Amino acid sequence: MSPETMTIVGAWVATGLSLFIYSFLYKDNPFFKLAEHIFVGASVGYLLVITYHEVILKKLAVPLIEQHEWRLVIPLLLGLLLLARFFPRLAWSSRITFAFILGVSSGVAIPRQLSSFILQQVQGTLKPLLTVDPMGGVSFGLAELNTLLILIGVVSVLVYFFFSIEHTGSVRSVARVGICFLMISFGAAFGYTVMARMSLLIGRFDELILYAAPEYGYATIVLLGVVTGGLVWWQRRSFQTDIKTPPTEGTQ
Amino acid sequence: MTVREFALRVLQLDRRFIFVLMSLVTLLPLLYPLGLPVRVSPEAYNIYDTLEHLPERSVLLVSLDFDPASKPELYPMAVSLLRHAFARNLRVVTLTLWPAGTSMAESAVIQFAEEAGKKDGTDYVFLGYGPGEANAIISMGQSLTDAFPTDYAGRKTDTLPVLAGVRSLRDIDYAISLSAGFPGLDTWYVYGKEKYGFELGGGCTAVSAPKFYPFLQTGQINGLLGGLRGAAEYETLLNQAGKATAGMDAQSATHFLIIGLIVVCNVCSVLSGRRRGRL
Repeated sequence: MSPETMTIVGAWVATGLSLFIYSFLYKDNPFFKLAEHIFVGASVGYLLVITYHEVILKKLAVPLIEQHEWRLVIPLLLGLLLLARFFPRLAWSSRITFAFILGVSSGVAIPRQLSSFILQQVQGTLKPLLTVDPMGGVSFGLAELNTLLILIGVVSVLVYFFFSIEHTGSVRSVARVGICFLMISFGAAFGYTVMARMSLLIGRFDELILYAAPEYGYATIVLLGVVTGGLVWWQRRSFQTDIKTPPTEGTQ
Repeated sequence: MTVREFALRVLQLDRRFIFVLMSLVTLLPLLYPLGLPVRVSPEAYNIYDTLEHLPERSVLLVSLDFDPASKPELYPMAVSLLRHAFARNLRVVTLTLWPAGTSMAESAVIQFAEEAGKKDGTDYVFLGYGPGEANAIISMGQSLTDAFPTDYAGRKTDTLPVLAGVRSLRDIDYAISLSAGFPGLDTWYVYGKEKYGFELGGGCTAVSAPKFYPFLQTGQINGLLGGLRGAAEYETLLNQAGKATAGMDAQSATHFLIIGLIVVCNVCSVLSGRRRGRL
């Protein structure tokens, strides 16, 4: 098959599957289910192939067999021990690998995560609130206002999540400020989420418009007609089946 | 029909009407662009500026940490960054930490390198998929050629001119992670930049952008492209309007529609007289 034909076939498959998935917006239907199952199967198959070629072959089999890198026997054995879980009598041996993974992961992750997500973030929170210039003058500008807002936000949110004391009086007031900061952050996060979802829709529509062109055989237009027609036929068929099927006793 | 009845009918509208409305509002600006201006943010400019000030033949690492599900947001960023890097005559080292993104990343790198007339192995290299998430980064920090003995095409990395003098991540001049989640930009920061000391910037999906702003504010990363808007900003900086810029009109239109729907629903909710908690 020539590359041009492959491109056109790819365009038809991509368009068809996109429209099948979007048909869910009408209601759950066989087109959607078909596309969903193809997606799951293709994703798993693709991941298996990539992992086999890029990890098992390139990083294990070839160095071990061709370059005799015997140190790789250790990860190979640890990996094989994981498969022992399928054999009840040997299942205990998989714990050796899990213990290794847990130990190494914790050792690697804890110091790095502490440093990156806590220490450096605290350092970023505790910046000077006033700037002293070389002439001895003190200034408070937008950057300092930003620092002040961050400081108030961090402290008030921490107070809100401090449940060891009752939230009354001044603690309650500070906690309520913390709630305001939390609400603003939830709003910002939701706004970005909406933006992301719309971007995905725009990306799909962009390709659907592209594949509606004559060089792709009007794939979008033809397949939109097929999906719409299919949905109408399926809906009518479901409706007729509902009419013909007599209600069973005890149901309405 | 009373105002209350009208408000109730609006609130009970079939949601499929909203889907149709949203589709139209997305589709029309794509077919008939409005050309709304795109304002460049300082965080996007910082990445552009860093690339502009790198000397020729500096080593830029681009980690394309996304799969086709995030292509609409992150692929335009990859396109702009690769075009910029090749135009600046940098040595571009690319890889992915996401197995499902391998083929897409490879085709993007090859396409834009060939477009710029760059030579594979001399001006750029695609190392392929780095398994092990954080471990892949740590391994690259110790030895790049041990982490990737061969590139995606199967050539030995220790003989490639593009990697001459690059023994580990310490020899990278600037790294950019285009991240759709984990592993991604934060993984590169935590296990890469902080330990091996290279400068780091990144791009991310809009969903994860709020997570990275604290990193930006503390200087842990020096620049950020957030979602389709970030990609459009970079296209504006390069003066090369692409898919992201084209999508911004539709993005603005859908945002206006959503704001409008929120306002209408709240007004109708008040007019309908429904008590709090009953909706």
